[in-house]
Amino acid sequence: MAQMSPWLRSARLPMLGAMLPAIALIAALVYFTAWAVTYSFTNLELTGFNSINWKWIGFDNYIRLFTRNGFLGSLWVTVVFTFFSALVGQSVFGFALAASMRRIQGWGRTTVEVTIMLGWLLPDIVAAFLWQATTSTNGFLNTLIVEPLGFPAYNFLASNALAVVIIANIWKGTAWSYLLFSAALDSISREILEAARVDGATGLQRIWLVTLPIIRPHIATNMLFITIWTFTYFPLIYALTGGGPGSATEVLSIFMYHQSFGVGKLGYGAAISVAMVIIVGALSIFYLRQLKEPK
Amino acid sequence: MLKNHLLAAAAATAILVGAALPALADMSIEYNDSFAPLVENGVKNFEAANPGTKVNLIKLPSDGYQDRVALDLSSGSAPDLIMVDSFLVAEYAGTGYLLPLDDMVKNWDQFQYYSKGLLDVASYNGKVYALPTDTDVRMLWYNRADFAKAGLPDPWAPKTWDDVLAAAQKLKDAGITDPWIIPAGTKREEAATMQGFYMALLGAGNPAGDTNRLRVRDQDKWIGDSPAIRATLNLYRTVYVDKKFGDPSVNYTLDDAGVRKALLDGTIGILASGSWENACFWDCTGANLPSQADRDKIVGYAPWPGDGKPGDKATTNISGGWTIAINAKAADPATAFKVLTAIFDKKNFLDWTVTNHRMAVRSDIATDPAYTQDPYLAKATELAKDTTGRDTVPGYLKVSALVQQATAEILDGKSVDDVVKEYHDALVDEFGADKVVTIQ
Repeated sequence: MAQMSPWLRSARLPMLGAMLPAIALIAALVYFTAWAVTYSFTNLELTGFNSINWKWIGFDNYIRLFTRNGFLGSLWVTVVFTFFSALVGQSVFGFALAASMRRIQGWGRTTVEVTIMLGWLLPDIVAAFLWQATTSTNGFLNTLIVEPLGFPAYNFLASNALAVVIIANIWKGTAWSYLLFSAALDSISREILEAARVDGATGLQRIWLVTLPIIRPHIATNMLFITIWTFTYFPLIYALTGGGPGSATEVLSIFMYHQSFGVGKLGYGAAISVAMVIIVGALSIFYLRQLKEPK
Repeated sequence: MLKNHLLAAAAATAILVGAALPALADMSIEYNDSFAPLVENGVKNFEAANPGTKVNLIKLPSDGYQDRVALDLSSGSAPDLIMVDSFLVAEYAGTGYLLPLDDMVKNWDQFQYYSKGLLDVASYNGKVYALPTDTDVRMLWYNRADFAKAGLPDPWAPKTWDDVLAAAQKLKDAGITDPWIIPAGTKREEAATMQGFYMALLGAGNPAGDTNRLRVRDQDKWIGDSPAIRATLNLYRTVYVDKKFGDPSVNYTLDDAGVRKALLDGTIGILASGSWENACFWDCTGANLPSQADRDKIVGYAPWPGDGKPGDKATTNISGGWTIAINAKAADPATAFKVLTAIFDKKNFLDWTVTNHRMAVRSDIATDPAYTQDPYLAKATELAKDTTGRDTVPGYLKVSALVQQATAEILDGKSVDDVVKEYHDALVDEFGADKVVTIQ
């Protein structure tokens, strides 16, 4: 308190007022998290006897995450989906686009940027319809490419549903990585790159040894955001495949939705969401550490 | 100071009155869009007869309807009247969400015509909680052009599962993409349990002792494992995995409308579904339907056969249907009941039943010439002579979800042994070992 600046001291009341929204937000976050954690130890259900007369069942819900089919399989699908669509697809593709677009100006750049942004701006449900229309047996891919080449029509959503969903999400989410990396690359001063060139560094070496280390915090920020989004992503996948066929694209968010509202086991659903929070939290801490400047 | 208190009190009163008034003056009803004409015309009649009372219409799509209703009821935000699938009435009534109607129906002259059996499904602990809109039967619909192409007999009357599988093989040989689709997996929700799994299950075991069901009714126990359950899962495996008669993705990438269109287009040859399809293949609301003769040229149906083993049923059937109930928290139950009886008033109800080829739930409608002279309804009613209902006790919703999960695991390629074990263990988790039985 002794260190408080005179300005702050005189404005204590307005400061408290300004903090109210933040306090309300934190309270709401704590409330909902506490709700999920509390109910994950109960057999609360959406309807029926257990919706009113729920009991504490200890760690049963958490034990079932590992002893019953579903959670581990969905976790694996989610990891594959997140790794390939966000970390590999959106990041690498977004960076490559941002790097290659730097020399291009004018209408060429505008066209590419608008195209990328379209995927981002299109509502998920519309995007799901487009991808379904594109990849179905009588969709564009088949009628325009596969069949003219003499191959029989191929149902992409039947045997390669996860791949289709991953590609659709790369298409949808690359804009964010592109924008972030574009801004990051703009912040690198030309002199440093020129100096590297004069010292004889090749193109790849300049990217690997100069550019990437400089934008390292941006990479970590980008990873942090897209991991959180992608790990808990729901609408496009649900609208496109409903988690199927079978459980081929049943990511954790869809698994939780089925268990909570299809089966009606809110307690189990809460345990699934707590597990998701723990996983995403651990990943976030990892990325936040990467944000620190290397020693 | 006093002035401030008075002001606050006045404001609080205004808010309370403001909140309470619309609740008294207005009604609201939540319904599935395939029942739109029944509800909306009934509401129109109600509003004409009760000027000043407005009924808010909350029309929701069929896909996901059940989840939305469950959420609205459990969060306390459900409207005065709610359309509920009949199998959920006992579940919701047992939770205290619905208002018992006994005191009100006894003063309504048309209540006497409701079928006793269907009211049982809409009852819990001896009290009626909802009024049925329709009932149904289930069958195998087929595309006639596909059958002609494959050289299959039409009219078609398979006697056993093997007959259907043989027909599916011929359809496949003739180049039909999905010869036989039995609803499966978690996205089809109740359709996977009822149009698919239960229809097969009923024909896969001896009806004595309920060995062909999900539940031994007189013992109050769920069946965790039985030859009939294994035979049914094996049928799914044959269709979706071994013979690839249906592509699993049909059950996920297409909604109801998409599956119907696929049957009309002939990419699906045989579809396990129900009597409502006579209208729903074209338009569930009954508007813009081709003539019955034109529809009969495009699709036909056959009863679901049993598995062909001696002692098992020759054909199977299970009936459901929908209902409309009143929210236990409705502010003005008497007016809500007036809306209900306006919807189910004979003229409105009869018009809708006949236009949409729904199966009647009331004797005054079933004996009306407009109904008896409809050839489609007459034939479907034949099927209803040997039918049964779901195990509509609290808990069925969970069992049904586990059945859907089991079929999804078959689509994933898991073995019947693994799937049955998981199903059994999950039942024990939910109900306890003493409530789950294994039939050898």
